[in-house]
Amino acid sequence: MKISVNWLKEFIALPDDAAAIARRLGSGGVEVASVTPAIPPFQKVVVGRVESLAPHPSADKLKVCQVDAGQGKLLQIVCGAPNVIQGMKAPVILPGGKLPDGTEIKATPLRGVDSSGMLCSAKELDLSDEASGLFALPEDAPVGQDLREYLGGDDWLIEIEITPNRGDCLSILGVARELAALYDKPLTKSDVAPVKAIIKDSFPVDIQAGTACPVFASRIIKGLRADAVTPLWMRERLRRAGLRPVHPAVDVTQYVMLELGQPMHAYDLKRLDHGITVRMAKPGEKAKLLNDQTYGLQPDLLVIADKSRVQGLGGIMGGGESNVTATTVDVLLEAAFFTPAAISGRPRRLDLLTDAAYRFERGVDPTGQARAIERASQLILEIAGGQPGPTTVVTAEKTRFKAMPIRLRRARLGLLLGITVPDAAVVGILTRLGCTVTADMDGWSTVAPSHRFDIEIEEDLIEEVGRVHGYDKIPATQYPSRQGMDRLPEARVDLRRLRQVMVERGYQEAVTYSFVDSALQTQLYRMPEAALALANPITTDMTEMRLGIWPGLLKVLQYNLNRQQERVRIFETGLRFILQTNDIKQENIIAGLVFGPKYPLQWGEKDRAVDFADLKGDIEALLRPAGAAGRLVTVLRSPRKSKISVQANLLNRLCRH
Amino acid sequence: MSTDLDKLIADAKTRAAACTTLAALDEVRVAYLGKKGVLTEQLQALGKLAAAERAAAGQKVNAAKQALSEVLDARKRQLEQADLAAKLAQEAVDVSLPGRGQEAGGLHPSTRVMERVQALFERMGFRIESGPEIEDEFHNFDALNFKPDHPARAEMDTFYLKDRPFLLRTHTSPVQIRSMLKMGAPIRVIAMGRTYRHDYDMTHTPMFHQVEGLLVDEGVSMAHLRGALTDFMQRFFEQDDLKLRFRPSYFPFVEPGAEVDISCIFCHGKGCRVCKHSGWLEVLGCGMVHPNVLKACKIDPERYTGWAFGMGVERMGMLRYGIDDIRMNYDNDLRFLRQFR
Repeated sequence: MKISVNWLKEFIALPDDAAAIARRLGSGGVEVASVTPAIPPFQKVVVGRVESLAPHPSADKLKVCQVDAGQGKLLQIVCGAPNVIQGMKAPVILPGGKLPDGTEIKATPLRGVDSSGMLCSAKELDLSDEASGLFALPEDAPVGQDLREYLGGDDWLIEIEITPNRGDCLSILGVARELAALYDKPLTKSDVAPVKAIIKDSFPVDIQAGTACPVFASRIIKGLRADAVTPLWMRERLRRAGLRPVHPAVDVTQYVMLELGQPMHAYDLKRLDHGITVRMAKPGEKAKLLNDQTYGLQPDLLVIADKSRVQGLGGIMGGGESNVTATTVDVLLEAAFFTPAAISGRPRRLDLLTDAAYRFERGVDPTGQARAIERASQLILEIAGGQPGPTTVVTAEKTRFKAMPIRLRRARLGLLLGITVPDAAVVGILTRLGCTVTADMDGWSTVAPSHRFDIEIEEDLIEEVGRVHGYDKIPATQYPSRQGMDRLPEARVDLRRLRQVMVERGYQEAVTYSFVDSALQTQLYRMPEAALALANPITTDMTEMRLGIWPGLLKVLQYNLNRQQERVRIFETGLRFILQTNDIKQENIIAGLVFGPKYPLQWGEKDRAVDFADLKGDIEALLRPAGAAGRLVTVLRSPRKSKISVQANLLNRLCRH
Repeated sequence: MSTDLDKLIADAKTRAAACTTLAALDEVRVAYLGKKGVLTEQLQALGKLAAAERAAAGQKVNAAKQALSEVLDARKRQLEQADLAAKLAQEAVDVSLPGRGQEAGGLHPSTRVMERVQALFERMGFRIESGPEIEDEFHNFDALNFKPDHPARAEMDTFYLKDRPFLLRTHTSPVQIRSMLKMGAPIRVIAMGRTYRHDYDMTHTPMFHQVEGLLVDEGVSMAHLRGALTDFMQRFFEQDDLKLRFRPSYFPFVEPGAEVDISCIFCHGKGCRVCKHSGWLEVLGCGMVHPNVLKACKIDPERYTGWAFGMGVERMGMLRYGIDDIRMNYDNDLRFLRQFR
């Protein structure tokens, strides 16, 4: 998630710049992937207005525009964008200005017509990954204003990557809370003032799947202004987080998700049929989702349904039959708590890795639903007006979140961390993290805040104290060494020794994948019934677990022959996997392959191809450490195949590692 | 007689000097000093002289014989040396030519790393344990405190067997479980080997190697973990001033958990291309063994605590040997492999 530092600073006053904040987050355990400027480094870009335009005399697709860029006189700019029309406002690079990639824009003729500057798309300014024309700016954008300034000024984006237990950090509020604990500073904004209901309307909600959905909060807002547009500051914040504006009501739900970490959904109230039911999908049920695709539903999927159809997959994606559109005037806002267990794994299976699913899989604050509804109501009223009904919160009482006290013993804390953390520091850290802390005889009794439901046991608290106090305060000390010695049977032969024998006899060790090509393997070993297939192979030629090492070595031979290597001596050790009467045998084996001349090309030896006796000599050498070299029995199986065997009890001396 | 003798000696000297082979020289020796040699005859002739003359003549002949012997010996040494020199010259070899015969092969870089890790931890009193690569859910996940619906489990990108309730181990951590169930506490083991994840791109291969370390005993703390890892990293990279940085992280089977960075081995922490100018290199994950893991292995977490770590072998190999593409490890290109001899 990309966190805007300016947005963050609305929640907490921080003395540091973005790089220092990022470092502090990292040392606290929130990994930072990048720190980048929110507005790309373009230069001399201002708001311009296309006053008039005329066709280019010698190019069909180009237009000659007269642009007011606040320069005292109109600029003539040749433009090829399909969406350029008279009266539109768009960014203009003045002559001498630069694109983010450093390209300088000069006043120069284009196909014979003078052009002073350039009208820009969002993509050209690196403000978006794609663009189909000029970046259309709102009508009230002041002509001549520096675009950077117009977009809200410089800002930095800190891209964070959380570990799966820290879903609470997937919002501006979440990161602010984390920083409040790390910097020992208070949050400057945390509560949301409730929005008073003006109308009485509410929508009936029935939770039938209480384990999967313990809380479902909703609110009706009627009579949104049809001409309302999402203000630039909000669109810009969405853009900086990688989201695209759609409709004021939808933009607000997205904005609240980014700000508070609670995913939301806005329904077009008029497209909903009677009440909402939260339940598991029925066999054979189908749903059309926001992406316009229809999905057949499995019974482990949670659905939000009205009287006539499934209107969305809970926690994953809203439906395509009740979504907000340009004509929507009445909306129903939803903020629910879907448990991680009810969502986990499904988004990947459906290939619907949405922002909402990402958060619900990791867990959202089980008590944050009403707050999100209030914040969204506030913003919608500000932007589009409307009359709010009351916020209704339906809970499944049995599964509702209840925080349990966790004991933290002073001695255990010191033992695990290996340092003594002063009592005052322990209490300070836990309190800053939002825990309630009560001291007792040998430690503390604590209750973690609802958004930190990952804190379940004493060790979790110890980690919290340790990481905020600083892992770098833990010294390096030595645990006393072990007394006594392990047995060292002299007859046992270490695998390291066998490898050394091979290396000294000119073999290069290869490491090939344990999954191999099924056809090649069958051809080599002729026992397809013993091979174990993978359910999800990564490529079509790596579908089976190997029955031996030869398939791998043959591929290595081929690879090297294709690269003009005429002499190949390779070996490999590792497990082979054989299915034997429903039992999976995993045995450590060693295998080798020789090809080409016996000796590397050299001045004093005649060039001679390797033969059977050479190979047998290598095998004898390999078995010598086990005292079995002279006791081989060789049987010719066919003119090109023979089997060398040795008494099993001698091989037992070869050790596994 | 005396002039005869002088002339005789002079002649012999001339003849000896003219000899170019030992055989010729021997002929000269025989001609003068042999049984029938000129000087021998002269000595024999002494008996015919009067007794008064005999002593003086005898002295002369003996002196001549002595002188001649010396001349012949000197020439013999000369010729022997010349002979030897000729023989040596004849048998001379071009010692600058390369040696003859089989040339040694070499170990795969991942094996080199694992053998090195093993050697270092054996010095610390750790036992090497191994386990199966086709594993079950219990050893790979459940016993390691991966809850069934936790994203951590989904993030593992597991390979499963077709029609059978088994998977390819996603890490070497199941060996921890097997070792603790087998040996109980206290325990200190190292495990290493192949691991598998369903991931194949620029920086991932579907098979890779891990090394796992585990120490469970009474009174084990995170400071001991830091001590062991600091020693290990300094020895492995042979840099005594190497520094470690612990960053809080999350692995279901440890709590507290940490990610470990080492000061960049290339720039010593000053910042370079490899460490992306941060001065640090991420090398492994570790932490204190989660009490649920100890309980699953029938070890009392109130009595025993422990640490565990796991690291990628290829990552260590790439840092140690300067390999810049992980996929090279599995191309088995001999031109690559031969660099590890």
